[in-house]
Amino acid sequence: MKTISIDHLPRVEGNGGVTATIDGNIVTNVKFVINEGPRLVEHLTVGKTPEEDVSIAPRICAICTLSHKNAVLRAMENALDVKVPAKVTLLRELMHLGEFIESHSLHVFYLALPDYVGFPNAIAMASKFPFEVKIALEMKQFGNMIMKILSGRYIHGENPVIGGFGRYPSREDLIWIKNRAIQFMPFVYRTVDLFCGLDYPAVPESETIYACCEPGEGKYGLWGDEIILSTGQKIPRDDYKSLTNEFVVPHSLCKRSRYNGNPYSVGALARINILGERLDGEAGKAFQKYFNRRWKINPLFHNAAQALEILYAFETIPGLVDEVLKIVENPPLVPYKTKNGQGTGLVEAPRGLLIHHYEIKNGLVAAADIITPTAQNAEDIERYCYLAAQKLLDEGHEDQIRDRLDLVVRAFDPCISCSAHMAEVKQVPPGNWKKELREVLASRPVIIGIGKDNRSDDQAGLILAEELKKVGFEDVYLEAEIESDHILEAKAERSFLFLDIVQMGEQPGKIAVLPLQHVFWSSVLSHRLLPSVSGRLSYGQIKKSHLLGIQPQSLEADGSISEPVLRAIGEILQAIRK
Amino acid sequence: MANEKVKIGIYELTGCAGDALLIVDCEEELVNIFTAASIDAFLMAKSDNQHGPLDVALVEGSVSTEREKEELLDIRQRAKLVVAIGNCACVGGIQAAFLDPRDWEKNLRKVYGNVEFSHAKPIQSKPIDAYIHVDYYLPGCPIGKEQFLSTFTRLLSGNPPDLYRFPVCVECKWNENDCLLNKGILCLGPLTLAGCGSVCPNHHLPCFGCWGPTEEANHTAEYRLLLEKGFDAEAIKKRMANYSGTRISDFFDQLRKEKR
Repeated sequence: MKTISIDHLPRVEGNGGVTATIDGNIVTNVKFVINEGPRLVEHLTVGKTPEEDVSIAPRICAICTLSHKNAVLRAMENALDVKVPAKVTLLRELMHLGEFIESHSLHVFYLALPDYVGFPNAIAMASKFPFEVKIALEMKQFGNMIMKILSGRYIHGENPVIGGFGRYPSREDLIWIKNRAIQFMPFVYRTVDLFCGLDYPAVPESETIYACCEPGEGKYGLWGDEIILSTGQKIPRDDYKSLTNEFVVPHSLCKRSRYNGNPYSVGALARINILGERLDGEAGKAFQKYFNRRWKINPLFHNAAQALEILYAFETIPGLVDEVLKIVENPPLVPYKTKNGQGTGLVEAPRGLLIHHYEIKNGLVAAADIITPTAQNAEDIERYCYLAAQKLLDEGHEDQIRDRLDLVVRAFDPCISCSAHMAEVKQVPPGNWKKELREVLASRPVIIGIGKDNRSDDQAGLILAEELKKVGFEDVYLEAEIESDHILEAKAERSFLFLDIVQMGEQPGKIAVLPLQHVFWSSVLSHRLLPSVSGRLSYGQIKKSHLLGIQPQSLEADGSISEPVLRAIGEILQAIRK
Repeated sequence: MANEKVKIGIYELTGCAGDALLIVDCEEELVNIFTAASIDAFLMAKSDNQHGPLDVALVEGSVSTEREKEELLDIRQRAKLVVAIGNCACVGGIQAAFLDPRDWEKNLRKVYGNVEFSHAKPIQSKPIDAYIHVDYYLPGCPIGKEQFLSTFTRLLSGNPPDLYRFPVCVECKWNENDCLLNKGILCLGPLTLAGCGSVCPNHHLPCFGCWGPTEEANHTAEYRLLLEKGFDAEAIKKRMANYSGTRISDFFDQLRKEKR
């Protein structure tokens, strides 16, 4: 037995990680784990005044503090019918761009780049890349300065409030921001060339759905009143739950999201994939030069997408400052009366779609719902890690798994404090399936045998189901019965254990207990299970259901069941009797 | 220890990672910080983290899982000095604002439903001194750059930190702001530790108390004064509780007794 573990995933902002469990030639389980404790921020905000909530809610995350600020402000202003003047909107956009520059430059140069050039951290990298390290620091500092000038502090600034700003930035400060942005341009082009030109490994690559805010007017942007998906579909802000469908998994304090049962990705790569065509100017040229098919399927291109957005931010700032300067008058705070109502605020945080929703009753927050980008990415992070681990294992590069998982998780730039560090690879001893099977059976699942009569090893699931019925298990069904009796629908609240043969590239007769979602992620594993149940189980069911699989020897028609598979069935029955 | 660098570990428990980020945000000073001391562990900034004896451990965040409690006890065993950095480590943070453990349990279920957590068993959020002896407290939400750098350099040369012990009002006067309380705005300046430079009043906005209460903050007296000024009792209590963590429980206990 061999155990490789990384207990904390370094250079990720927050506290979490990934565990991959390997049994022989197959990855039996991948979990994206959040160790960060619960803060119950959604509950903390209840009973507070809207003003207090605007102060507290951004404390979820120091890195995305101003994204949270803009999200809570948009939600509250929607709920309270507050319309802010143009100058306020422009300055909020400027402050948001400051956060993009700060967060993206910190991530690409300091957190991601060391992996690609072979250094443990950015400071060590300084010996070989002194220019990059120094200028990146200045770039990040510039982002911080924008945030400080507009919000009052580097982190958790309180200057943006409902209806405007406590105090407006001076003309001198704004002109400084504009000039400094222009000065950075040569280095910004270098940043794009560096990160768009990096040699990103081809594992993992897989299609996914992307989601971001629809900024409207055919523009690239940082917020909107609709969500747009890479499928073309649009979702109005108040219907955000039809995208996110949050749920909780036992191994993590980060809530999860799925769209129609599919994991989806948010973040810079999602925005570039959906809105990239809308970029104009130098960012548009860079997009046309570098964007290709791989950006659509490879999460490691998050780093390249962030570099493009750094260019977008620097290019947008000078014009934005000019717009602000045209409006000389500093508008006073928009007065408002508290009223009962609900409001949703959608913004793009640097790491993706961020949703704040509040219900206000009697002048106080009565309910809050905050959906962070990492919570939405958690499922896709887990899926891509699973695909990467299995692919590398298939290719005989087991030694690379740990580092690759680190790379994948880090590419998503997970801000774990906002949900919740670590990659771990576990080799389980032979026979581990017995323990897992006992755990699964303890939840009293509905058992379903999958297979085809008289087709050599394909009968295994059916034979096993019949045997389980004999030893007194209730709620055991055969594939044919679930069709006619609508078992999946009738037992909707239960978990399921499917019995089937599974191609694992292993010795015939190998037994494994697999989470059902892994079977869906790698459709090669089980040929029959997918068409018979896919699309008919809710995500909640899939999440708690399992597959007990046996590696077949032969699938020839009209053959009899092979010796190793028969032996496996015997082993399973013996384990269950114990 | 003549030629040996001071060994520092920077750790993050539950919080927003803002204090660790503030350290990363000390851009110009960052390289100096990393060369003046031996940063043996700093998860946010490096991947070759070591697990050994330390001269100083800086701990951010509150203790909110069993695992974090174990980690904290381990840090205390390895470190000569432990410094709590930021509101969450010092007083428990916004997440410690539940004064009754039953409320916390109820609220955990409200947010996460009836899920059994297998990996990180949640416990009610508490400041780190609920479990270990803390040598120094560096307040802030997040900590301030000036106080951090001054504390860091003093610790490197073997001196205790020299922190403000007075309230925000003092800095606010230095900055010649008009008193917001006099204008009828509920400001927590009188109760709150200075060090932020009275940033909110500088922006014509009231202090929300995010650096936590001063040691000698008299919540009861301030509460009565604010009542006299016409503020609503519930509004005052809630405002005071937001960033005071467990440090305000004596005040609430006293209020409860008075009611009886």
